[in-house]
Amino acid sequence: MSLIVSYIPLVVVGIIALGFAPLAWWASRFIRPYKPTEWMETTYECGSDPIGEAHVQFRFQYYAFAIIFVVFDLVATFLMIWAVAYGGLSTMATVWMLLFFGMSILGVTYALKKEETVWI
Amino acid sequence: MVYSSILDWIHFPDVMSNMYYPFDVYNLPYDISYKLWELLGGTIAWLINLLLPGNPVSTWLICDEVVNMFALIIFMIVIFLVVFIATLISLWEERKVLGRLMDRRGTMIGMKGFLQCVADGLKTFMKENTMPKKVDKMTYMWTLSLVIGTSVLIACMIPLSQRWFVVDYSTGLLIIMALFALAPFFILVSGWGQNNKYSLIGGMRAAELMISYEVPILIMIATTALMAGSFNIGDIVNAQFNSTWYFIPQIVGFITFFFCATAESERTPFDIAEAEAELVEGWQTEYAGMKWGLIMLGDYFRGYVACAMITIMYLGGWLLPWDPLQINTYLPELTFLIKTWFVFFMMIILRGAIARVRPDQILNIGWKVFMPLSVVNLAIVLMLKIGGVY
Repeated sequence: MSLIVSYIPLVVVGIIALGFAPLAWWASRFIRPYKPTEWMETTYECGSDPIGEAHVQFRFQYYAFAIIFVVFDLVATFLMIWAVAYGGLSTMATVWMLLFFGMSILGVTYALKKEETVWI
Repeated sequence: MVYSSILDWIHFPDVMSNMYYPFDVYNLPYDISYKLWELLGGTIAWLINLLLPGNPVSTWLICDEVVNMFALIIFMIVIFLVVFIATLISLWEERKVLGRLMDRRGTMIGMKGFLQCVADGLKTFMKENTMPKKVDKMTYMWTLSLVIGTSVLIACMIPLSQRWFVVDYSTGLLIIMALFALAPFFILVSGWGQNNKYSLIGGMRAAELMISYEVPILIMIATTALMAGSFNIGDIVNAQFNSTWYFIPQIVGFITFFFCATAESERTPFDIAEAEAELVEGWQTEYAGMKWGLIMLGDYFRGYVACAMITIMYLGGWLLPWDPLQINTYLPELTFLIKTWFVFFMMIILRGAIARVRPDQILNIGWKVFMPLSVVNLAIVLMLKIGGVY
């Protein structure tokens, strides 16, 4: 059986899965009321008048972790490829993979230690 | 062929003899939908033939291509409905068990409180649609649809047994995890698009949460793939049937994955993106009425998927190690769902027992607790693999 034919059921199921939310939202318009007021259209800020915009420069405090994450996500991808192919690999391949992984772990440990003092 | 009685129109042929059969092996939901269409389409064709004898529409309705097409449409509804009801049952389970944990009874009215979910759905269905003026309408609606859409899609993609699946991928586990990890990205965009301070903080926290649990989860998936030698869900389940359930050798990984999966489905104690005690409703603040109801439903779909992943990877999937009643042959789907609800039960107990973690703690928990534990788990499995135990 060709690959395309075997994915047809997924496409059909994908239609209902991705269309479920818009369809339910669209269908509810026939029974829901519509009485717009001024207060409904303001941004919610616990009942008080909203102060300023929310499109501001936001200081998220996990910048160092984000960088480590990007690097280590790639390492984890390599790890997965190695893991699924483990049965057909030589011993040397496993040794190299573990060396690579160990080096990455060392790097992460160092980065986390450094992050505690630098704290960006 | 002569069509005289209704039984000539409805004849229930073997589903796999259809030349457009879209699977390689037997598929139960497709078989059910095929027979349903045989019944429905055959009756319609018979009725039309009674009125207009010898017309081409009747024979067209029961030819191979058309039956296959309508069977696929019914197949999509069958798959969706089963997942939907399983999710509603887990929602009901949460209400009842959480009520007991808090020394109350939970929902009571209508089938022991099950119909409360339906009533809540209807209630949100009839709520007025409100959309604040300052939101970015594109991102506001698109991210909502995509968060719910991917959640429902992965819930439908989870195979319930060897015969209940949508596509039998060789990379099933990987595709499901990839789609599962997409939601925090949409939440981040949505939090920005809503132009609300609480939503912005909630979206940023969703990204933060994702950064902390994603790498341990990937390492533990690699560990399971190393043990089973495949990413195919059926292969993983069969490998566990042939040896032991993986939570015995990978007990460290099982516990860590349980916590990470709780974080992935954004349930308490890891729901810092929502955190109703501090952030109103987190990234969902500006979504009201039906949109909020759909987000809630999507959340429970994700909880169901997280429990199903744990069941597949550590609890033997749809197979029991010994079955005197031959459940493995006749009702593997029920086994799978019961295991899933059991894992969900543990998640509810976790929710009732532990307070929400702080956003500054979650990164340290992720990188200094979960991550070393997952590496230890990998080392144990590699040891077992080199020692030839598995």
